[in-house]
Amino acid sequence: MVDEEIADLAQALLALDEQRAVAVARALIDGGADPQAVLQRGLADTMLEVGRRWNAGELFLPEVVAAAEIFRLCNEIVEPALIAAGGRTLGHRVVMATVKGDLHDLGKNMVGAMMKTAGFEVHDLGKDVPAERIVEAVRELEPSIVGLSSLLTTTVPEQRAVLAALEEAGLRRSVKVMVGGAPVTEEWARQIGADGFAPNAPEAVRAALALVGDERLAGA
Amino acid sequence: MGRPEPAAPTEEPLHALLPSDPVDVLAAGELERIHWATLQVLARVGVEVRSERVLARLGAAGAVSDPGVGRVRFPPALVEAALAEPPRTLVLAARDPARDLRLDGRHGYLALDGCAAELVDRETGERRPSTAADLARITLVADALPQIGVLWQAVAARDRPVETQPLHELHAQLGSSTKHVQLMTAVRPEQARSAIEIARIVAGGDRELRERPILSAFQCSLSPLTYDGDALESAAVYASAGVPCGFVAMPIACATAPATPAAALVVSNAEVVAGVVALQLLNPGAPTFYGACGTVMDLRSGAAACGGPEDPYFQLASAQLARHYGLPSSIGTFATGAKGSDWQAGVEGGLSVMSSWLAGADLLCGAGLLHGARVHSTVEMLLDAELFDLACGLSDRMRADEEDLATQAILEVGPGGHFLAHPHTRRHMRRRWRSSLFGRETWEEWESSGRPGATDRARERVRQILAEHRPPALPETLDRRIREAIAAHGR
Repeated sequence: MVDEEIADLAQALLALDEQRAVAVARALIDGGADPQAVLQRGLADTMLEVGRRWNAGELFLPEVVAAAEIFRLCNEIVEPALIAAGGRTLGHRVVMATVKGDLHDLGKNMVGAMMKTAGFEVHDLGKDVPAERIVEAVRELEPSIVGLSSLLTTTVPEQRAVLAALEEAGLRRSVKVMVGGAPVTEEWARQIGADGFAPNAPEAVRAALALVGDERLAGA
Repeated sequence: MGRPEPAAPTEEPLHALLPSDPVDVLAAGELERIHWATLQVLARVGVEVRSERVLARLGAAGAVSDPGVGRVRFPPALVEAALAEPPRTLVLAARDPARDLRLDGRHGYLALDGCAAELVDRETGERRPSTAADLARITLVADALPQIGVLWQAVAARDRPVETQPLHELHAQLGSSTKHVQLMTAVRPEQARSAIEIARIVAGGDRELRERPILSAFQCSLSPLTYDGDALESAAVYASAGVPCGFVAMPIACATAPATPAAALVVSNAEVVAGVVALQLLNPGAPTFYGACGTVMDLRSGAAACGGPEDPYFQLASAQLARHYGLPSSIGTFATGAKGSDWQAGVEGGLSVMSSWLAGADLLCGAGLLHGARVHSTVEMLLDAELFDLACGLSDRMRADEEDLATQAILEVGPGGHFLAHPHTRRHMRRRWRSSLFGRETWEEWESSGRPGATDRARERVRQILAEHRPPALPETLDRRIREAIAAHGR
């Protein structure tokens, strides 16, 4: 019965049916289903399937982002139960932010969505995020990767400031930092001492998997 | 109209939805004056017809025939009456019924262009005379391109005897694709008869070919104001078998037509109208179409310029004249003087396809020619098909209804949000144009794949199609009967 409902949740997520997915997730958790099973088999595995379909050219970016948004809504329902049950996290954790002074978060949202299709646990801090908040999140969440985005040439230097703040807080060695955004180049990433760079969302996933030593897509 | 239509196709070939309100480049008064001048030319000068037999038949049917000077003149009333005869819409049937074409003023289709005498070798870039095997190969590639609706033979089978060359061309086309074939080189009545016989073999008989003409043809005027008698007779032969036969003028302003656009249009229009009227006198009600591929002479070399600003203007004006007469149109498109698939070819092709589409052309011929329509390039054929694809993308019209205005979605997303994942975006995003040859990759992807351009991608795609695409072959018995028909030709 629970298995059927989890399959139903997976199907709703794959069909991008937000209402149904949220309703099924709610019913599962309220009915006392194992939150780890709901998260893994109902949601996370389905996001991997979304990623597979993206790689096969069957899905487009708006669909991946929509799936990630439904995933987020369902996860909000599952997470409290998971924490209460002392559950574990999904996989590698990523903290993402559009840096201070920049309100352009569409690119970062795309990267976040694609990351979820590769099994990453994504914590999105939003846009116009000051360096201190990013440092705080790294201390609290202990992510494997921090992703920094900026679209404007005027906010790109803020990426360097975040790296410096991490360094100052003694956290730089504990986390890999990836940078991206239209004006960002591989050269800039090297110059400021970032660990990774990607020109678009699918490439960001590859770079992230390579950084955490996952061979699934790296070099594919 | 007048002819039975086949059942609705299950899967239409790719077409551009034509504008519901096509561009009229000629003001109403200008069009009237061109029509009036055309009537004057046809009544007072007439056209030369190089056949006493055809002149006699036209005379018997009501035209003013002057066999002594080899001319026929058409009184205005006769012209007006004859122009009202042919059907207003045409179905060009295909061996695969799913690939039938509807020339009804709403669908614009891409045709190959021919009939080049040379082609550019895909790998070496050198040009050489074309062969029947080349035509078969090119047709196979065209079969794989959803954008191409009509196969006007792309190159001439120059390795075959002149007398049977068009029949070998027809054989190569029917054997390499299931799309509609348009034949231009069968210009003598005996050749037309043999071509019809071959088409009947494939269609299944005389009645089947009438019901579903998998073959059409056209005859070219010799500008200014001349028709080969054989060409008109061939047109009548096609018509009597139910095969649509159009007339195409290819005037060159400053040389075979006057220098001014208005006068060049009068000469061009008079030639096409004379062909249509003559055919209606010989075979009342015969299906036909209005064709024009006008250009200007290059003032230094004396060659047809093909491209520049004149061609698009002639395209717009000619398609407008065809619409005025209520005839389906076949408008020369993609003409370029470029020798390779370069900036010039892209610019001229882009302007040209826009003009034909805006003008509401039923057939946009044609893809794949360089160097003033003298040299075929299969790579260019793919690039032209992609430009036509752009026109198909353009034809996703503005619809100002509730769903397309999406005020609800705009309200829901609000300032600072995004439409990326909104259900409205997902409902409609597949209407947006997606390119197969234009480069939209990242700089890094572009570099790591060797900095390819559209031309490189097109060349790669040609290689892939040739290696992989295998259209349904003609049944062996039909193939043998076609070979026998060609062997029997002229005996």
